[in-house]
Amino acid sequence: MKVKVNEVEHHVAADWHEETLLTVLREHLGLAGTKFSCGIGQCGACVVHVDGSPLNSCLISVADVENKDVLTIEGLAGGDGSLHPLQQAWIDENVPQCGFCQSGQIMQALALIGDTPDPTDADIDRAMSGNLCRCGTYDRIRKSIKKAALVMRSTS
Amino acid sequence: MASISRRKFLIATGWVAAGVTGVYALGKHAVAVAPTIIFPDETSGAAWVQIRPGGVCHMFFPRVDMGQNANTGLAQIVAEELNIDVEDIQGVRPSTKDVPPLAVTAGSMSLTAFSRPLAIAAATLREGLRDRAAAKLGEPVAAVLDDVGGFQTSDLRKVSYADLVDDTGFVIEREVDQAVPALYAFDSARQKTQVGHPKSPLGIRDLVTGGRVYTADVPMEGVVYGRAVQPPVRNARIASLDTSGVSKIRGVVTLVEEGDFVGVVCTTPSAVDKAIAQIQVTWDLQQPINEEEIRRLVDVDAKMAAGDLEHILQDKAHRRNADWSVDLRFDVQVQTHAAQEPRAAIARFNDAGADHRLEIWTGTQDPFGMQRFASMDTGLSESDVVIYPQRLGGGFGGREHYEVERDAVRLARAVGRPVKVQWTRADEFMASRSRPASAHRIRIASDDQGNLTDWWYGYVTGHVVFARERLPGWLLPVARLSDDSGVVKGAIAPYQAPHQRVECEDVDLPIDLGVWRSLNGASAIFAIESAMDELAVLQGKEPVAFKIAQMQGEQPRLAHCLASVHRLSAKRRLPEAAGYGRGFACGIYDGRCFVAVSADVFVDEVNQQINVLHLCCAQDAGMAVNPDQLRAQIESNLVWSIGMALLERFEVADNTIQSSNFDNYTIPRMRNMPTLDIEIIDQPSLPPTGAGEVALVAGPPAIANAIRDASGFRALSLPIRFADI
Repeated sequence: MKVKVNEVEHHVAADWHEETLLTVLREHLGLAGTKFSCGIGQCGACVVHVDGSPLNSCLISVADVENKDVLTIEGLAGGDGSLHPLQQAWIDENVPQCGFCQSGQIMQALALIGDTPDPTDADIDRAMSGNLCRCGTYDRIRKSIKKAALVMRSTS
Repeated sequence: MASISRRKFLIATGWVAAGVTGVYALGKHAVAVAPTIIFPDETSGAAWVQIRPGGVCHMFFPRVDMGQNANTGLAQIVAEELNIDVEDIQGVRPSTKDVPPLAVTAGSMSLTAFSRPLAIAAATLREGLRDRAAAKLGEPVAAVLDDVGGFQTSDLRKVSYADLVDDTGFVIEREVDQAVPALYAFDSARQKTQVGHPKSPLGIRDLVTGGRVYTADVPMEGVVYGRAVQPPVRNARIASLDTSGVSKIRGVVTLVEEGDFVGVVCTTPSAVDKAIAQIQVTWDLQQPINEEEIRRLVDVDAKMAAGDLEHILQDKAHRRNADWSVDLRFDVQVQTHAAQEPRAAIARFNDAGADHRLEIWTGTQDPFGMQRFASMDTGLSESDVVIYPQRLGGGFGGREHYEVERDAVRLARAVGRPVKVQWTRADEFMASRSRPASAHRIRIASDDQGNLTDWWYGYVTGHVVFARERLPGWLLPVARLSDDSGVVKGAIAPYQAPHQRVECEDVDLPIDLGVWRSLNGASAIFAIESAMDELAVLQGKEPVAFKIAQMQGEQPRLAHCLASVHRLSAKRRLPEAAGYGRGFACGIYDGRCFVAVSADVFVDEVNQQINVLHLCCAQDAGMAVNPDQLRAQIESNLVWSIGMALLERFEVADNTIQSSNFDNYTIPRMRNMPTLDIEIIDQPSLPPTGAGEVALVAGPPAIANAIRDASGFRALSLPIRFADI
């Protein structure tokens, strides 16, 4: 089985075909930025994009993404190490506390800005309420999304 | 310890190039007491900060990273002393073999306890290097002035740290009776470049790019996957066990049964899930687990009717039969940590002859405790066990115990291969050591001017610090004769009355208990601040002025917080319409951290919900080492306040834990977020007092008092549901 993650094609060994996409990313392909937290799609820590749509990777089998494009947090920065505007905004606002949920938050925010280039507070509430942050960094996440959206609007 | 052996220690750590040393003890514990409590003294910092060849400052971070970013603040202090930028410090998270034992990271103590020892170490290093610079320049020491990353003379001849530290390595001695050098970080008159500035958390880039910083991210050659069955309570015993289905699962390496421990090791994570699902266990319990039993055990009124409670915390001319203006009972439910990262550990046993027979990677608040417990569990000597602490995906008091580590150790020993254990979310809830339920009776009497005459506060709660298995069994009954430092947090009110009594009792509850953010502080202060607010309402007084008056000048820092938050809250107009309300509360965490919160709420009759609209907070944490990270901790505590006041309830029933995931244990989400307005009351001349669990003591009663203002409903039980109103 082959899966394409962050523009790179990977071979998935037969022993791993029954695993979730999340497990394969973390344990088989060495992409540990996507996190396991609830396992039932309640927290958003494992959000990745499949063919451009955000999905909880804990809920889908790796077989479901065969021949599809997967984007993870590791694929967000440029090849030269330049950060995506969302990542930069996250640093500018010092969003992370423990940091564990932030990959999922950023991937979810990426989908939000893709659909809604100028999100309102209500848009953010709607799009981001599936992503839990036990440390409570929501206020800074909100600010960072708006900041990154502004940067992306002005550069596009 | 002689200086030669101190030198030897620094060299043996593989760390020394240049170092400062005072006297520090590589102490072993006389008794195996958990958690590790050895707070640093003025000489301890010597083992954590050094300048290496090339002039780079290396720092062993003495605290565990779990989101509080305390190490960034501590590095700012080191940078201030050394006249460098915090970003230039190369921080290393030490393993247990790198440094003398460190205290558990807990209690909002990191800045309080560690900033001065680090400042002394760095300043000693600076002054020792200044001596060498003077020799090199041929100038008297007094003529060698500070420069960025080194020194200079008045005619601008420069010597950098790189010029002074070569490959030979040396130790700068400071005898313990020698005067402490000037500490720049604590000089309130000094213009500072690091301390007091909002620096980004060190290592933040890894957190937004998917870096490998947590335990389960650690790559491990030849690793297999394991998990054990978690009992509903630690003292449960297996009554019946059926593992016959396990062998049917493909990918099972081994099944491990040792007494009440049962677990599996498999080649893939999904095989672990399937194999664990095949294990049928029933448990023998020592107490039934259900809410009625918990309520019965903490029934404060029944206990107070039977006589004095076990611990008398304050007793001043107590009168049992005053004319009570307020006589209220408050009940606080069990709450749990629910950190975003479910615990994980990796254990690897090595052959005899290796440097360490057992290596453990884990995100724990107490690495040295894990070393000690793994040693006791395996019979290996402590020096044969090494712990590599990883960043925690949230701690909140819940990660002090040898539990997921134990699972990994026992499974790795059984299979002779490195084993990674990743707890499920259900395991995480099942094995949680939650904040106990508690019940509080507050009686207040006042004179005809409304001033307090009598204060009688009694409460019953589960144990906190002296909860089961937090201490060895033989020590527990002895320890419990004295006050549990977690149970008494927050109990003494800041208000003055001629007649005052505070008493409490801590009891065994049928669930596992332990340390949760603010310990008993948030529960006790919810009761105290609700009762005082009710008294103000009954007397028709404005609650902020009333509370400040009743402090009678004894708590100026707290009064200042309350007055500040009152002013902050007034910046935003509360709608006149029905259902809107504003409430205030204040509190002191651990006798040293001062905070006040205001809440604006809307009790929404149409949608049948309570919305927190706006929270203000004024906090005095002494010197604000990193104002932005202090603010971040306040934000976090305010979000937790919403969870505690309105959302979180740890469900138990039918002899087990029912809360198993985020669909049946509700924590705040983005849509629950109010706007925030935070003021930090900086006290540059006072030591930093900590922030990690402070504002949580005032947030929940502020919300409850706002609901009272909005609806007339006095919340007597947490969490508050709309249906209660």
